[in-house]
Amino acid sequence: MTRRILFVTTDQQRYDALGCNGGQVARTPVLDRLAAEGVRYERAHPQNVVCMPSRATIVTGRHVRNHGVWMNGVPLEPDSPTVAQVLLDAGWRTGLFGKAHFEPFLDPFLRQAENRIGVSGTTDLDGAPHRGFEHLEFAGHGAVGLLHHGRWMRAEHPEHLFDFYPVLDMSLEVNTAGGGDSGAPQVHHNPVPRDLYHTDWVADRALAWLDGLDDDEDWFCWLSFPDPHHPWDPPVSELHRVPWRDLDLPGGYPQDRGEREARLDAKGAHWRLWYDGDLVSNYEAPAHWVPATLTADQVREVNAMAHIENELIDEALGRVLDRIGQRGWGDDLDVLYTTDHGEFQGDHGLLFKGPYHVDALMRLPMLWRPSPAGDPAGGAVVASPVGLLDLAPTFCAIAGLEVPEWMDGIPLPRDEAEAAAQGRESVLTEWDSTHPDGTEVHLQSIYRYGLLCTRYEAGTCHDGTEGELFDLSEDPVQAVNLWNDPDRRALRDDLVDDLDASLPPRPVVARRVEAPV
Amino acid sequence: MVTVAEEITIDAPADEVWAVVAAPERQAEWFPGMKTSSVDGNVRTIGTAAGGMLLEEILCIDHERRRFEYRITGPMQFEHHLGSIEVEDVGGATRVVYGQELEPTALTYVLGAAIRDALIGLKALLETGTTSRGWDPGEAAS
Repeated sequence: MTRRILFVTTDQQRYDALGCNGGQVARTPVLDRLAAEGVRYERAHPQNVVCMPSRATIVTGRHVRNHGVWMNGVPLEPDSPTVAQVLLDAGWRTGLFGKAHFEPFLDPFLRQAENRIGVSGTTDLDGAPHRGFEHLEFAGHGAVGLLHHGRWMRAEHPEHLFDFYPVLDMSLEVNTAGGGDSGAPQVHHNPVPRDLYHTDWVADRALAWLDGLDDDEDWFCWLSFPDPHHPWDPPVSELHRVPWRDLDLPGGYPQDRGEREARLDAKGAHWRLWYDGDLVSNYEAPAHWVPATLTADQVREVNAMAHIENELIDEALGRVLDRIGQRGWGDDLDVLYTTDHGEFQGDHGLLFKGPYHVDALMRLPMLWRPSPAGDPAGGAVVASPVGLLDLAPTFCAIAGLEVPEWMDGIPLPRDEAEAAAQGRESVLTEWDSTHPDGTEVHLQSIYRYGLLCTRYEAGTCHDGTEGELFDLSEDPVQAVNLWNDPDRRALRDDLVDDLDASLPPRPVVARRVEAPV
Repeated sequence: MVTVAEEITIDAPADEVWAVVAAPERQAEWFPGMKTSSVDGNVRTIGTAAGGMLLEEILCIDHERRRFEYRITGPMQFEHHLGSIEVEDVGGATRVVYGQELEPTALTYVLGAAIRDALIGLKALLETGTTSRGWDPGEAAS
C-alpha cells in the first residue's frame, strides 16, 4: 500500500485561530473538516516558542537540548539526523515548500546552505538532498531576501517587489514602523495581487511538485506557510474579509490599563521591563517598540490582519487537498497540521513573542487526519499533552518505520485512551537567549494536569528563585501567578522536580549563534 | 555599542601577514562570502556572495602599528561601526585580531561568525596559498 503524508505548518499561529478550536473570527472550513474527520489536540505545546529551535524540534523529533538549536540564529548541525532523511532512505519522495528556517535568514556572506539554495534558485543542495529533502523551495515573510519566492518576485514581478512591509529596517533591526489604519507595528496595507502573495505561492509550488510525482509513489510533502507571523500585510484585496473596526477585543487583552499592568507585575520582572520599553532580550519583536503604547485599536487591527491570513492559508490548503483528491491519493493520505509557536496578538497587552511561557505562545493548533483507508479517527479530541517533538515519530509510524532512538518524542495518540496508555502526563518547553549587550534569559516550563509551571534560571532579570505557576482550570488567561502561594508550594516543588527529572542535560558546549534570526 | 573580536595565530612572519591585511582590495581573497573588494581613494566597495554590497570608509592603514581600520557607511545604517585588524609578531609567528564595534547591534552575531571565518581564510592564504573566494551562486545555477 502506498502512503502519503501532507504536513502543513503555519508560523506563529494561535490555538484560537481555527474555528474548530473555538475561534470566532477566521473562517477555516478546510481545517474544521479535517478536525471533524480526524484528531484535534487541545494541548499541543512547542519545545521552544521561537522559530528556529521549534522547527529543529519538528524535523528531528528532539528536545532543544538534544538538537542544539537553543535560540534563533543557531543553525541546526549540518549532519543532524532528520525525519525527512529517514523517509528518504526508505524510498519516500520528500519535498518542503515555504519556510524552513533550520538555518539563519540574515546572511550577507551566504554562509548558510538554505540561503545558497535560495539565491541559486536550485531546488536541492549542489545536486543532493538537503536535510533529507530532495526538493526545496523557500519563502519567507516578504519578497526581499535570499529565498525562492523573493527570487521569483524579482524576476517575474519586480513592480511588486516592494509592496510588502520591510520586516527589517535599515539598521537590520526588526522594523518598528507602524502602518495600516491604526499605526500598529508591522501592519501594512499591501497592494500585492493575491496570487503573488507567499501563501498562494507556497501552495502553487507544492502542487507543481506533486504534479510531477508518479501515482504509486510514497511521498512526504511539507507545506510550510510563513503566515500569520508578522509582518501583518495580507493583500489589500482581502481586507474586506475581517473589518478590524468590527472586531471584539480578544478575551486575553485586559482593557483596563491598571489591570493589565497589575497582571504583568504578578509575573517575572522581564514581563514589565519589556512592556515599559526597558528591556530588549531578543530579536523577536521590534527593538524600539514599547508595548505599553499598544492601543485597543491596534490590537483589533493586528487580529484582523492575522485572521485574514489564517483564511488565506485555509483556502490554499483546500486547493492542495482538492488536487490530491483529483489524483486519487486522498484515501491513502495522512494530513497533519500545526504551527511552530503562538503569538500574543494582544494577550497580556502584548504583541509578538519572546521569553514568555503562557498559552498565547505555547498552546498550539494541532490536527491529524489519518488516512481514510486506514484507521480514521472521526472527530476524536485529545486533551492530554503532546509536543511538536512527537511529530517526527508520528511520521515514522505512519510510514511503518521504526522510530529511531535519537528521537525524543513518541507517536501522537489517536484518542485519549491511547494517550493514557502512552502515559502522557506532561510536556516541556524551554527558553535560552543571549542578546549582544549581554542580556540573558533562561526559562523552563512544564505543563501537567492543567497546571503550567515555569522556573526562571538566574539571568539578567532574575536571581534564580522566581517563576510562574498557573492553574489553568481556574485561571485560563494566566492572570494569577501562584508561584509564591504558600498553599501551592508543595505542588510547585513537585512540578519543578518533575521538570528537572524530565529535561535532558544541557550540552557541555552551546552551539554558536551566527545571526539574530 | 557592543564589541566582538576574534583572533588567530598564523605561521608566517608578521610582515607578510601585514602586507596582505594592509591591501584592503585583497580582502576578497581571504574573506569567505566576500566576492569583490575594490578601493577608490578611502572608499572600499564590497560585493557579497548574497548579491548585496557594502560601502566602507577606510579610516587608517597604520604600517607602524600594523593596524587597519574601516567603518561601514552603507547601505545599512549604523550609529557607530568600527572594524579593525591588528597584526602582531609573536616570536616569528603572527597573531591577528579582527574586531568589530557596532551600534545598533543586529549584525553582531553575523559579523562575529564572518570574521572568524575570515581569519581562517587569512591563515589558509598565508600558510598554504589557498584563497577563500565566496561561494558563487552562478556555479550551481549553471
